[in-house]
Amino acid sequence: MASVHESLYFNPMMTNGVVHANVFGIKDWVTPYKISVLALLYEMTTSKPIALQERRRLNKLILPLQQGPDLTLDQFLKTVEECCPQTAYAVKLRLHEMADGELKDMEYFFATLPTPFSAIDSEAYKTSVVGLFMRHMLLAYNKLSFSQVYKLYKALQQYYHSHYSQPGDVQVGLPALAADDSDMDLTSTEDNVGERMEKEELDTAPLHESELSRGPLSQKQAEYFLARQAYLLKNDENKALKPSALQDELNNMLKFNPDFAEAHYLSYLNSMRVQDIFISTHSLLHYFDRLILSGSEGKSNGDEGYGRSLRYAALNLAALHCRFGHYQQADLALQEAIRIAQESNDHVCLQHCLSWLYTLEQMKGSDSSVLTEDSVKMAAHFCLPYLVSLGIQSLVQQGAVQGKTAHELMDALKDTDILHWKHSLSELIDISLAQTTSIWRMYGKSTMAQQQAQLLLNMNSLEQVNFGVQQNNTEAFAVALCHLAELHAEQGLYGAVSEVLKHLKEQFPPHTQHAKLWMLCDLKIQFDRAMNDGKYHLAEPHVTAIAALNKTEGLYRKAQVLKALNRTTEAYSILQRLQLYCEKTKYTEMIIRVMLVTAELHWESSGFATALPLLLQALALARQHHLQALASETILHLAFTQLMLGVPEQALGVLHEAMEPILAHGAVMDKGRALLLAARCQMAMAGTRSNGQKHAALGLAVQSLGEAAAYFSMLDCKERLRDVHYLQARLHHTLGQTPQRNKCAMLFRLLDQELQAPGAAVAILSFIQIL
Amino acid sequence: MAALCSEFGDLVQIKKQLISVISLCKERGLVHSVKWASELAFSLDPLPKNELPPPTFFTEEDAQDLDALGLAKSYFDLKEYDRAAYFLRGCCSQKAYFLYMYSRYLSGEKKKDDETVDSLGPLEKGQVRNEALRELRVELSKKHSAGELDGFALYLYGVVLRKLDLLKEAVDVFVEATHALPLHWGAWLELCNLVTNIEMLKSLSLPDCWIRDFFMAHMYTELQMIKEALQKYQSLIEAGFSKSTYIMSQIAVAYHNIRDIDQALALFNELREQDPFRVENMDTFSNLLYVRSMKPELSYLAHNLVEIDKYRVETCCVIGNYYSLRSQHEKAALYFQRALKLNPRCLGAWTLMGHEYMEMKNTSAAIQAYRHAIEVNKRDYRAWYGLGQTYEILKMPFYCLYYYRKAHQLRPNDSRMLVALGESYEKLSQHVEAKKCYWRAYSVGDVERMALLKLAKLHEQLNESDDAAQCYIIYIQDIFSCGEQLEHAEVSTALRYLGQYYFKNKLYDEASLCAQRCCDYNDAREEGKALLRQISQVRDQTESSTTDLFGPLSSNNTPIRRVSPLDLSSFTP
Repeated sequence: MASVHESLYFNPMMTNGVVHANVFGIKDWVTPYKISVLALLYEMTTSKPIALQERRRLNKLILPLQQGPDLTLDQFLKTVEECCPQTAYAVKLRLHEMADGELKDMEYFFATLPTPFSAIDSEAYKTSVVGLFMRHMLLAYNKLSFSQVYKLYKALQQYYHSHYSQPGDVQVGLPALAADDSDMDLTSTEDNVGERMEKEELDTAPLHESELSRGPLSQKQAEYFLARQAYLLKNDENKALKPSALQDELNNMLKFNPDFAEAHYLSYLNSMRVQDIFISTHSLLHYFDRLILSGSEGKSNGDEGYGRSLRYAALNLAALHCRFGHYQQADLALQEAIRIAQESNDHVCLQHCLSWLYTLEQMKGSDSSVLTEDSVKMAAHFCLPYLVSLGIQSLVQQGAVQGKTAHELMDALKDTDILHWKHSLSELIDISLAQTTSIWRMYGKSTMAQQQAQLLLNMNSLEQVNFGVQQNNTEAFAVALCHLAELHAEQGLYGAVSEVLKHLKEQFPPHTQHAKLWMLCDLKIQFDRAMNDGKYHLAEPHVTAIAALNKTEGLYRKAQVLKALNRTTEAYSILQRLQLYCEKTKYTEMIIRVMLVTAELHWESSGFATALPLLLQALALARQHHLQALASETILHLAFTQLMLGVPEQALGVLHEAMEPILAHGAVMDKGRALLLAARCQMAMAGTRSNGQKHAALGLAVQSLGEAAAYFSMLDCKERLRDVHYLQARLHHTLGQTPQRNKCAMLFRLLDQELQAPGAAVAILSFIQIL
Repeated sequence: MAALCSEFGDLVQIKKQLISVISLCKERGLVHSVKWASELAFSLDPLPKNELPPPTFFTEEDAQDLDALGLAKSYFDLKEYDRAAYFLRGCCSQKAYFLYMYSRYLSGEKKKDDETVDSLGPLEKGQVRNEALRELRVELSKKHSAGELDGFALYLYGVVLRKLDLLKEAVDVFVEATHALPLHWGAWLELCNLVTNIEMLKSLSLPDCWIRDFFMAHMYTELQMIKEALQKYQSLIEAGFSKSTYIMSQIAVAYHNIRDIDQALALFNELREQDPFRVENMDTFSNLLYVRSMKPELSYLAHNLVEIDKYRVETCCVIGNYYSLRSQHEKAALYFQRALKLNPRCLGAWTLMGHEYMEMKNTSAAIQAYRHAIEVNKRDYRAWYGLGQTYEILKMPFYCLYYYRKAHQLRPNDSRMLVALGESYEKLSQHVEAKKCYWRAYSVGDVERMALLKLAKLHEQLNESDDAAQCYIIYIQDIFSCGEQLEHAEVSTALRYLGQYYFKNKLYDEASLCAQRCCDYNDAREEGKALLRQISQVRDQTESSTTDLFGPLSSNNTPIRRVSPLDLSSFTP
């Protein structure tokens, strides 16, 4: 075929019937801007010694200048001036010589450039970054034809003169940003290329947008741009260009070079950000259509590229549908990928398919642990550490929900951690830490959870691009931060909570993928606060918002509000429904919580005896799943029920069992409640004893009440505080301590007036009278 | 229509107008408009001597510029545009001004083309611009706002705007140009390229002139509103343009678009008789010949065209089709490549090349060719369909759904896409969707007559025997009513199934009828006979009770849509 083709019609740019832009492998070419950079490099290598500080700054500048998009001469000179005015002047002079002279001046300039092959000692040695760049440029220059050289010279002249013709045309934003730059340079003493590039990116980003007729990027520049943006999209979305701006850039790039397929992939990622299924599907398919042909030339890692990209195309399509929640479509696409992969014996691809398969199953809500286990085994067999540990993490998650013992889970996580550090899979390390946080939190060990969260947040990133940057905005960080917020809320540190949430809002703006996490967390905290304060009307609107983010949680909260508003029947029916649903989905934590609320409902109708079996069931469940926080709470409920059933000794005994974990790990609210309950039990027991013992027992109760009051005042939980003060007053009265009694009575009166709702107090009053 | 006729009544007037506009365009070097107008003028009766329009009179300015204009025009004709512009720079007549600006525009275009060949870098190739455009725009817009532009200059202004991608402004200017000089076909044609949908077309306020009907007809063809286009062209023919080769070719293309192959072929043959050295539209003609597999005719056409001009896009496409029909796909692809070399924006060639690569089983190259076609024109349904087919061949039925859907969107009433969609859905076991697609394909008029058969088989698979029988009946009716013999017709399959179906439902009369028909086909003869034997056996056994059973069954069990099976007797294969 090829011979026929060539004899009839020869075109070097055409292979396989299609014109390829890059058949010569030209990745870069000379532009006036590149000449300026060359002039800068030339000055740096040849001129007299520059001060060390300035030299360092210039060195830092080289890479971004080489890789970044073309700047105007104004921007370029300004940037150089910031570092070293003297060099900037020299560069300008050199450009002036060329632009105001003749063509031969430019030719002379290229002739006098230090050849990287000869200069062994200088920075321009052939293997150095600078040397490579110079070689590229020289090669590209030497390839130019006569008319092209002339055109380049014309362009240079225009480039240089446009600098003078419109001096007012400079972007206003530049000086400020650039000044910022120099500040940073003066203060920072370490070499930090990453940050410098960061700045560069920030500097140049606004400039692109404002400039309409910007020239095309060379392939090198385009590749750098794409890699950078893709990395940012994955790890730190806020720093990437805005979706619309990025799309503009990509469209621009594709206009100049429709063959640059990677841009389509970035466009796919970008439209995923804004949840645009139309463009994302289109871009994805376009990318793979393009990839298939570049693969057919055998370029792609020798791995029989063509069929390979087909498989991954189907797999990516499945992933796309998965992300948009089209489970049936995703399933079909996945089956297709699996079939093709099977046909061509591509185990690696199959493995990826399998891991998507269990993810899909999980997303659909069915049990996929068997699949996951298979996946882990196979992945280990094919040495795919990423997939192995991803699978294990998924298994751990499932195991935690299903009540696997803690040591098994922690062992598994420890094993994966070893794997991560061995292969430096920093992304998975983050996830693993976040997962540990979640697990500790689920078990009710707040200190451990807090410690893990802090560990994650304070860890330096291992990725080379962002080396030394502490926080990315990946899901792991969002999860850890949310846990942190909730943990602080439990301790009543609402100032800290709002700080954390503010940070979350900045890191994960509301339109981004992980924003739902903190939204839910924020709402939950607000809801709990409103409920604690007894402001049920404030809690009610939160329920709708929570339900929008998480249906189960929403229902649960709705039941809580209804119960508080004494709409018992409605609350009960919701709880029943919820319990059934949670039993189906095996959401143990929620089941226990629902049981507790149901028991509370029984109390309201004085059905203490009916509440008992429910609570015992809940306790068994909580113990089985090692949910310590919930177990303690259940014990509190149990103790209260027993107290009401008239067996305070039993109640106190049970309570002592829970007291320790609550005081160690529990929320402030729980601590207060536990102590209040203990005091009430002690009071009830004191009633049965002889006089001397009674005094001692009542003294104990007073002490407990004092502690409880301290906790409640921390949370500003007025209703409970009022009850505590009332009890305190009564006790002091019984003990004959009049001044204390009067003080407590006064506090009670103040709070009571403030609350204006004597109903609850009356209930307690009657209860205490019984005692 | 009456208004139209009265407007066209004065053909003499039209002819006069054409002659005058021909000379105007000729003076300004607008060759394509001259060609169009001349073709049309040629199709009308010649004027008597005294009716000929007088030679154009000169204004003072014209007289002044006469020499410079003559010199510049000669340079212009020799493609020395800069030189022409140089000698025209001081002239003040409208004619000279247009030629001055037009030379500058063309000079820029020519340089642009030259630059494309050696641009600085590969990525720059999309960036090469006509540098003159901006200056031209500035100057023209100044004059435009001062109202100093005549029809031709307005046309040029529009072209400049379009090249600068200022499409909205361009449309306005072209509309203005048509008002200023309705007879200039170039302006209409440019407008035609910019109008993208019927709503936009309706919103334009166009001059009321006979040429407008030509424009509308052309527009309808472009917008795939073939029926309206044919109507328009018919009325133009009736109005007296019956000899026009232009109209004839347009009608032929329209028939091609609605796949009325016979009509289109007849028209093209007539066209070739009248205008044997015509190259335009011959690629469409070759497509038709290809579809009909008329090898000798295609071969004759190809050789003839090579003699006329072998370096034309159309010629290359015809040769490509010729080789493709001879199953020499490599050579075919080569010629399509050559066509693309001559004009990279030639849409048909990209798609056809894709087809050739498909034939050669070079799927990756095919995908790329189709992708290029889509890049040239996003609305090219054949390219989308081709991509779908490629992925179907690669056994990716889910993946190809997207492409078929795209194609279906563009041609909602084309059964081929629907059948393809249905097949993909069937492969994915999405039976409901598949059934919908097949039924819809049948409803919009199935070209290949496969949809019903597939639907029936699908029903058969799913054990929905009533629906299956129903589909088979309609299928048989369809096959026989269309009259032609189709190679892949599976009437015997249908009859066999129907026979069994009636037999199971104890409708022995109908069953035996089907069985007898079965015997007409080789592959079903044995089964037909066997069925007949079975029927007679059962009949002997239940002679008495047949009538009792027959009543309730036919009223309850048979679907409502079912046509009486006795209708079969009217079909004679």
